[in-house]
Amino acid sequence: MTDSVRSIAEEVAGGRRSAVEVAREALDRIEGGNPVLHSFLEVSGEEALREAARVDERVAAGDRMPLAGVPLAIKDNLWVEGRRVSCASRILEGFRPPGDATAIARLRRAGAVFVGKTNLDEFAMGSSTENSAFHPTRNPWDVQRIPGGSSGGSAAAVAARLVPGALGSDTGGSIRQPGACCGIVGFKPSYGRISRYGLVAFGSSLDQIGPLTRDVSDAARLYRVMAGVDPLDSTAADRPVGDPEGALESGIEGMRVGFLEEGEAEGLDPRVAENLEACREAFLRAGAQVGTVSVPRAAAAIAIYYVVASAEASSNLARYDGVRYGPRRSEADLASLYAETRTQGFGPEVKRRILLGTFALSSGYYEAYYGRAMRARALLSADFERAFESADLIVCPSIPAPAFRLGEKVDDPLQMYLSDVFTVPASLAGLPAISVPSGLTPEGLPLGLQIMAGRFDEERLFAAARAFEREIGFPDEIPRGIRSLPS
Amino acid sequence: MSADRRTVTPEVVRKVAELARLKVPESELSIWTDQLARIVSYIDQIAQIPEQEFGRPPEPSATPVRPDEAQAGQGFQALEQNAPRRFEGFGVVPRVIGSGQ
Repeated sequence: MTDSVRSIAEEVAGGRRSAVEVAREALDRIEGGNPVLHSFLEVSGEEALREAARVDERVAAGDRMPLAGVPLAIKDNLWVEGRRVSCASRILEGFRPPGDATAIARLRRAGAVFVGKTNLDEFAMGSSTENSAFHPTRNPWDVQRIPGGSSGGSAAAVAARLVPGALGSDTGGSIRQPGACCGIVGFKPSYGRISRYGLVAFGSSLDQIGPLTRDVSDAARLYRVMAGVDPLDSTAADRPVGDPEGALESGIEGMRVGFLEEGEAEGLDPRVAENLEACREAFLRAGAQVGTVSVPRAAAAIAIYYVVASAEASSNLARYDGVRYGPRRSEADLASLYAETRTQGFGPEVKRRILLGTFALSSGYYEAYYGRAMRARALLSADFERAFESADLIVCPSIPAPAFRLGEKVDDPLQMYLSDVFTVPASLAGLPAISVPSGLTPEGLPLGLQIMAGRFDEERLFAAARAFEREIGFPDEIPRGIRSLPS
Repeated sequence: MSADRRTVTPEVVRKVAELARLKVPESELSIWTDQLARIVSYIDQIAQIPEQEFGRPPEPSATPVRPDEAQAGQGFQALEQNAPRRFEGFGVVPRVIGSGQ
């Protein structure tokens, strides 16, 4: 499926193509690609065709929809009415949500068709999609490598052109990092831009929903449809979304682009360092003023993040106890019901984060770990505020190295955590951030550049991302790991 | 904050697992202890931020509230669809009162 989100929507809305035909094409692509990539946990062919037929009826009735007939893949931690939500965990086996997430309801109203639920690291905890309880997903550029995570199923599906767009969730980089690993665009909006109602909670002060697409303009279209205040999520900000699509072609001439000093630390992979130079030249060609900027506490971001996110996860995941949903593992007594259900239901990485979070919140350690991490987080946010006095945008690599091989880091959780070293700072500060494909390594693996803007400054971010995308000229080619698939 | 890897001992892991309602078998205790100790040792770099750099903790912002109007909730429907054991609209759990817990 080589068409973009926008071109499909325009053709279907204009009556030149039917939504059913587009859905069939996507389902055929998925049937060919999924056995290789394992990007989907569930494909909903019948439901998707029914939804597409409904879109065709709406088009015939004169309903102009911005996403008419666009087939989307949805990360399996978001509610789509009638479809499973497993979070790639055994503990939620069989769970069916009572309705649509707010973001899904808005996409549905805009004409989107939901073709299936994609794989993820269990409860979105991971950077490789290897922590799924069901199977790992493979990178379309090299099927022996990870697609990134935790939204790896969504990223692989878009990169392989099984679908033109997908949804992910991003707590510490789970949209941007897999976007970079798979050579596509991954966008995390400002904290508060998109309602999380119907997103299974991981770290509530960090979680955001966002799109994965093949280009910046498609990301802006999906974002515009989903963003905005929602009475069902008190953290959804009541402020105008603006016109992110209208801002796309406004250019960045004269804009101050600050390369993050902490993003060019010693030890950066030489392929990433070389690519960063190409990115610098692209911004100069686009007419930006290019300099450097420092966010000193960015170096401590991973440490802060793994306290805050794990503490919130340990609290959010306390609800999975075998009482209200999921398989029950013991009926002996209440304590056994809780412990057996949780011990058998959660995988190792989720247990590790729950233990770490419980430790950080426990009596005797609370102030030293959680309290101090929260205060350090405030310092990091203040660092960003100062940095944005001298730069309109802050940029750094999205990933410290290209996608690694499957299994390479599974026994070393700390090394895995460091995969998110460049994405976590924006999460902690609640900033909008986008990863744009920035080039291929000599061995043909994608790299990405992350662009960050001030909170709620998405319009400027999209203008810069589009200008950068045009200048850097990432090759528009089918990833080599899946070129043999039927097109 | 201690920068000492011994912060995380097998006893601490046992205690935390109990708080988190997770079982850590004795045979796996040393692996969990080593992994968590290594992560906590890395996290201890937050201790290197000088105390004088910390200002007052940020004030939490007020949570916006929606109008206090009765609406149909989805909680009951979710329970009906998903609870592992149900009886006349209630979720069933093992006996608590009189169970000795």
